[in-house]
Amino acid sequence: MKFSIFRFNPERDVKPYMQDFRVELEPTDRMLLDVILRIKIQDDSLTIRKSCREGVCGSDAININGRNGLACITPVRELKEPVQLRPLPSFPVIRDLVVDMTQFFKQYHSIKPYLINDEPAPEKERLQSPADRDKLDGLYECILCGCCTSQCPSSWWNPDKFVGPAGLLQAERFIVDSRDRATQQRLDDLNDVYRLFRCRSIMNCTEVCPKGLAPSRAIEKIRLMMVKDSI
Amino acid sequence: MRKAVTGLRAWLVQRVSAIYMLLFIVFLLTHFLLDPPTSYLDWRNWMLSPGVSIAASVFFAALFAHAWVGMRDVIMDYVHPIAIRVMVLALLGLGLTGIAAWVIQILWMGHG
Amino acid sequence: MAMAMKRRPMFLNLAQIQMPVGALTSIAHRVTGILLAIGIPFTIYILDLSLQSQQSYASLIHLLDGWAYKAMAVVFVWVLAHHLLAGTRHLLMDVDVGSLLPTARRSAWVVNVGGVVVALLAAGVFL
Repeated sequence: MKFSIFRFNPERDVKPYMQDFRVELEPTDRMLLDVILRIKIQDDSLTIRKSCREGVCGSDAININGRNGLACITPVRELKEPVQLRPLPSFPVIRDLVVDMTQFFKQYHSIKPYLINDEPAPEKERLQSPADRDKLDGLYECILCGCCTSQCPSSWWNPDKFVGPAGLLQAERFIVDSRDRATQQRLDDLNDVYRLFRCRSIMNCTEVCPKGLAPSRAIEKIRLMMVKDSI
Repeated sequence: MRKAVTGLRAWLVQRVSAIYMLLFIVFLLTHFLLDPPTSYLDWRNWMLSPGVSIAASVFFAALFAHAWVGMRDVIMDYVHPIAIRVMVLALLGLGLTGIAAWVIQILWMGHG
Repeated sequence: MAMAMKRRPMFLNLAQIQMPVGALTSIAHRVTGILLAIGIPFTIYILDLSLQSQQSYASLIHLLDGWAYKAMAVVFVWVLAHHLLAGTRHLLMDVDVGSLLPTARRSAWVVNVGGVVVALLAAGVFL
């Protein structure tokens, strides 16, 4: 199978370049990550981030044939050859397929990704009805791999000011949580031409989310809540 | 409050103006299909009748608001140096104001 | 080390990033929006000519009869039709109609093809 991989070594290269690789697949090679690791045997300088290798940690998000995804859960035999592998678009490249996610996590932290509740804590725990818990489905599963934000044109143009789909999905996760008491502050914080309203509903985020989540829908729900709130 | 002015409000202006323009365009097309103007006077009398010229004025107001918000969005995405951005926005605002004056002149200050 | 840390290229070659159908709808929505904004003064010039006097009205009718203007009118119809269709799609999705991915993909196709169909119909009428 033929591969073309984005290479950049900051200590040696002035500019990134594409390097071709050819690998014979073994019957056990099912996912793209299996094959990348086989390529790494050919050339051990090839750098990629990976950890759980089963789509839970979100470390190995890369751009595969123009589309962001997790190498570990992308069936390799279905890919068009030569398979073009590049780092996540618009994120600064540290080396080869490894990107700097500082900005991404800064935006994530900016939405205060934790429950805010100053009421005295009950003896055991803050209870939540099963119905309220169900509201978190489709939101809490996000693994912060960055596929969505990196494929979002609004994030490309204003990565420092627009929260981006991942952060906004997380914002919705805390806005709808029945145990959170900061809903109003959260809505006020996002009611800004940049933070939420840079979203143009392009839906690239939902297209590429490897967990099948819909950040675009979460954004739309936050907007509707703001509208109701302002009337 | 400052944020409400720039975030949700601009978004709402875009939606409300879009809906009005959509309705007006449908109204205009229907008129042209069912009762197309046959002469200059026919067209002029229809267009400058109070009902239509008021509806058209609201349409243009919606159009200018829509164009302002829409073009500002484009500029916010691609034009980053603050000096150039302010200049481009000022040109846009001036242009739209000038055109608005022109429309008022056409629709309300009549040609005789 | 510090020097090496600073050298951070970025991959953002739009030709190498896949654009799903919804992204194409969105790009065209933006392009048509800019074209419509640029077209505002021309549209108003036409409105002005049509109302000014009997003569200007007649000259406008004569002008619009030209082949080049008719072709421009067809392009204008596509620009307007795409912008209105894409805008309507957004308005519906804003109130949670058709905002799930499979529906959104289909409606994006409808918008992209619909704009062209309307322009072709206009071409049939004008030319």
